[in-house]
Amino acid sequence: MDSVVPVTELLTAILAEQLLFVGEETVGHYFGEDWEFVYRNREYLLWGTVITIVLTLTSILVGFLAGFPAGAIEAYGSGYSQAFVRKFGVLLRGTPILVIMIFTYFVLPIEIVLGAAEFALRSIEFLLGPTPFTVPTDVPEAFLAATIALGLRSAAYQSQIFRGALGSIDEGQMEAARSIGMSRLETIRHVMVPQALRRSVPGFQNEFTIVLKDTSIAFAIGLGELLKRSHDLFTQQTTAVLEVILFISLLYFVLTFGTNRTLDYVSNRFAIPGESS
Amino acid sequence: MSDNRTETTERTDRERSADSSASATETDPLLRIEDVWKSYGDEEVLRGIDLEVDRGDVEVLVGPSGSGKSTMLRCINRLTEVDSGHIYLDDLDVTAADTNPDAVRQQIGMVFQDINLFAHLTARKNVTLGLRKVRGFSKEQARQRADSELERVGLADQADSYPAQLSGGQKQRVGIARALAMDPEVMLFDEPTSALDPELSNEVLEVMQGLVAEGMTMVVVTHEMRFARGGASRITFLAEGEIVERGPPEQLFENPTHERTAQFFESIRHD
Repeated sequence: MDSVVPVTELLTAILAEQLLFVGEETVGHYFGEDWEFVYRNREYLLWGTVITIVLTLTSILVGFLAGFPAGAIEAYGSGYSQAFVRKFGVLLRGTPILVIMIFTYFVLPIEIVLGAAEFALRSIEFLLGPTPFTVPTDVPEAFLAATIALGLRSAAYQSQIFRGALGSIDEGQMEAARSIGMSRLETIRHVMVPQALRRSVPGFQNEFTIVLKDTSIAFAIGLGELLKRSHDLFTQQTTAVLEVILFISLLYFVLTFGTNRTLDYVSNRFAIPGESS
Repeated sequence: MSDNRTETTERTDRERSADSSASATETDPLLRIEDVWKSYGDEEVLRGIDLEVDRGDVEVLVGPSGSGKSTMLRCINRLTEVDSGHIYLDDLDVTAADTNPDAVRQQIGMVFQDINLFAHLTARKNVTLGLRKVRGFSKEQARQRADSELERVGLADQADSYPAQLSGGQKQRVGIARALAMDPEVMLFDEPTSALDPELSNEVLEVMQGLVAEGMTMVVVTHEMRFARGGASRITFLAEGEIVERGPPEQLFENPTHERTAQFFESIRHD
């Protein structure tokens, strides 16, 4: 019996070894040289994936931070603030993302962007106390421009998700809270928003997927995300276009599918007991 | 004002006159409604309503749909603003422009026809939210208060249930507990049972009867004639935005002086 354990250990070790360190020649031998080419450049593509993921997260974050208050202002605001938010949203939603991105990259001065970010951070610190964050100054300009473009465009759409969700909450909820003496702001914060956020998840799922896929548009301003890097590769070996594109399609699919599943889980986790979500 | 005096003498005849110690001719109006007008566009919903509700009295508003009962109720806690006229709670002019509606509403509990429990909160948290945010109770204080209010409406065992897990009657009882927790001077009920099955109405009506017995001042819009007959100090019959007739239940049920009132009570008797 004693000898069994080392044998299985040895087997798993060999298997793991083989799977993790499959030689490039082996891949080429079984799948042809174009797949071997993809496999050889896996690390290059993986870093592209990382940039795609980070760009998605920063864009969604910017979109949420700007879009959520914008949605609330559209739902409950009045006067100039509401008119401004509404018009700015219409403008952003009516402009192609590629145009927005080229604008943020070639036209918008970086000092303005960093200044705005600095101002936003200081405002947050003023409201919530000191934060350990500082505005990063060493971020590549293309990444910053892509984040601003995707983030603003996403804010314009996320604002509509939240506005719709807030509007779908029964007016009686507001009246009930007001009837016990809660102020309008308190009611929005403690009664309307918690319910609206839950109802936003399906729309948010959609938006997350769209932003993730649209990070590929940063290709146009030369940001080395997944599509740009695949382009770098298949211009090197033009016979491998199909293989490269198939491979990154798979990566995009895994990312969107994983995101949707995660948000499904979040949705179920925070569902109101007794209500169908 | 002469109307008022005749009502006062009638009042002495009432069996469950809560303040029998007070002198018979003295009224103790907690809620005074003076010449209240309200219209939506061209439609006049309230046309000069005058009403006084004494402390500890139960005023039941009845009338055909569209007669302005609910609007009247909503004007009292300013969920609807009056066009003209005044509403006083004790000495406070509720309708004055410089009166903070949030402060008024703390003193006036309201129970809604469509219940409107906060859907994302448990029964207990429905009650604690106002205590925490409006009254500034600590977490523990609010919890204790909420549990005792839920016990008062017979739902101590459902404190951790969410609205969607409760029956209609249970939900409405939580709604009552939520309003009671704020220690209101007066409770407004806007057709509290009309969204409920008959057998579920009973549990809500029982809770309301309990409040009557405790001497809570209440203004109730309802079609429940059992409650009107058994619980009301006075019934006010409204039609087309005006008070047609007002008096103790026996009078309106048995000997209404107006033809319009007689017709109304006749029609609901056959329901």
